Amino acid sequence: MNLSLFVFISIAMFGIGIIGVLTRRNALIYFLSIELMLNAANLLFVGFAQEWANQTGLVWVFFVLVVAAAEAAVGLAIVITQFRSREVVDVDQYNELKG
Amino acid sequence: MGPTDNIAQWIIGFILVLSSLGVIVSKKPVHSSLSFLLTLLALACLYLQLSASFIAIMQILVYAGAILVIFMFVVVLFQDAYLKIEKTLPKSNRLFLIATTLAFVIGVGFLGRSLFGLSSPETTLTAGYGSVQALGHALYLDFFFPFEAVILIFLVAIVGALYIGRKAV
Repeated sequence: MNLSLFVFISIAMFGIGIIGVLTRRNALIYFLSIELMLNAANLLFVGFAQEWANQTGLVWVFFVLVVAAAEAAVGLAIVITQFRSREVVDVDQYNELKG
Repeated sequence: MGPTDNIAQWIIGFILVLSSLGVIVSKKPVHSSLSFLLTLLALACLYLQLSASFIAIMQILVYAGAILVIFMFVVVLFQDAYLKIEKTLPKSNRLFLIATTLAFVIGVGFLGRSLFGLSSPETTLTAGYGSVQALGHALYLDFFFPFEAVILIFLVAIVGALYIGRKAV
């Protein structure tokens, strides 16, 4: 099994996610970039779990999936609230997150 | 593990990196979401290669089936709102992006040398590795408290999302 390949794919995905968060201003693409980073971590968990024949990594992937779902739910609720009140999806304009 | 497996992994990895680039490059959020779907499917293939069948199925069911559908609903709701973004100038400084990218490249360059050609330990997978039974056993016996904590997190997140998203009275 080519372990280095998985490590490098994971690094590439994480880096693309970081660049997406830094450059894109659309809130939806912003969230998708965060999901990319979570998936890069998941790939490392699964790869190393297989490498060491230890299922603990797979259990943590399960937890990461749940946290990603929770993050998407809360984040999209915030985005929808902002869109409903101010008609913006630009994260640069999200500077009035008060009540 | 034959040589064909290795080639398959390279091809899937290539698709993975290209589609994740598509997520951040495409202009319309719909195209981003569809690229993300391709990323998720390629990841599921990779998980199957790594003999984690349950995680691969969970990936398709939870990510592609639930999270991406929520995203699609929001994309439908927003319609052409993304066109407004180009009309305003970004507030952030481009210099920070260049500095971050440089730091990342240097970091990967330094770390990458030690990451290249990692030797894998001589381990053999137990029978039923990655199956629903084995994972359920680990989840309910070894990881019972984190499992319950994660349920609580999810409950709080859903109540919070409903509270944030409610109409102002």
